[in-house]
Amino acid sequence: MTERSTTEAAARPIPGLDLVAELRSTLDRVGELARIVELNLREAVEHGGNGSADERVQELESRLSTAESDVKELASRLVDSEHQGGRLMNLYVATYQLHATLDPAEVQATIAEIAINLLGAEQFILLLRKDDAADYEIALLEGMYDGALPPYDGESYTGGDAMVDVTLRDGVLRLGPTPDSQALAAVPLRVQNEIVGALVLLKLLDHKPILRAEDRDLLDLLSAHAASAMFAARLFATKDRKLRTLESLVKLARGE
Amino acid sequence: MQPRKVLVVDDSKLMHKMYEVMLRQYPLVYALDGRQALDRLQEHADIDLVLLDINMPNMNGLEFLAQVRNDGAHRDLAVIIISTEGREEDTQRGLEAGASAYIKKPFHSEDILEKISQLEKGPSA
Repeated sequence: MTERSTTEAAARPIPGLDLVAELRSTLDRVGELARIVELNLREAVEHGGNGSADERVQELESRLSTAESDVKELASRLVDSEHQGGRLMNLYVATYQLHATLDPAEVQATIAEIAINLLGAEQFILLLRKDDAADYEIALLEGMYDGALPPYDGESYTGGDAMVDVTLRDGVLRLGPTPDSQALAAVPLRVQNEIVGALVLLKLLDHKPILRAEDRDLLDLLSAHAASAMFAARLFATKDRKLRTLESLVKLARGE
Repeated sequence: MQPRKVLVVDDSKLMHKMYEVMLRQYPLVYALDGRQALDRLQEHADIDLVLLDINMPNMNGLEFLAQVRNDGAHRDLAVIIISTEGREEDTQRGLEAGASAYIKKPFHSEDILEKISQLEKGPSA
């Protein structure tokens, strides 16, 4: 065979060679698929695919129990958060309304509204120190439809309820009743560390049997804000009255 | 269905502020007594819910409710009484007068929101 004839033979296509190449490629793919199947099988075994059904059920039950416990805890936290939100809302609204006016009568009405609507007080008394005397003005007397009982039945309060008297002296909020006091709470009213009066709760509404923990926040708020709101309103009213008097005098002097 | 407008009837400005903070998602209209509340109902045809106090000057809550229920236009208006009157007979009287629900003061905000939610879902809920 000559060199030329050898070259021609090599250039001629060999029948079936392309089929062999296709077969090789297919075998490669089969090998790849076999590896994937093997991997999946190994994973399934590792994750309990071959474990007993009971074990799997137990694991799922445990997970469910944990999830239920989490839901219960979240629900409990949600209730706590709602309560906390309610407490903060009460405090915000009470503070806002106490300082929303410079009219002493309106401030006094707001103190009464807080006591009735937010604390659930049925009978209470607001005592305010008189400027020029040692006794206390009974500025508010609420819920005593058959008349005030001693020691609150006079024009002013001169003492007589031991818990209230001590609170008016030392400025500490006290809860009762005690053997020597019928008051449920004696709330000191302060302006810059000076005690200018007290709010005395004597009876709660029948459907509000006791003062709750959240009520303590409101009592503290009243102690700190009620007197300063009242003080500011009274000061403004006095200055306003003086201003009007001066304006009238000026008009008179001008002959208007 | 969510109320289009809520009418708050209470003589306490503190309570008006309370509802304003609590019910931010609803448009509110205010009245200080029953008479004002009747006027508000005339002025705002889209009021779907009334939060009603009982003890008020001029016209109290029960008198207002009686007028509303006698008026054909507002016969189905949802009314929640919110009052310091907490005896069983007070609740009974309020419900018999036509209130949809009765809540005692002092209340937790969740109580009001839950009742409104129940009313929104309708009687079948």
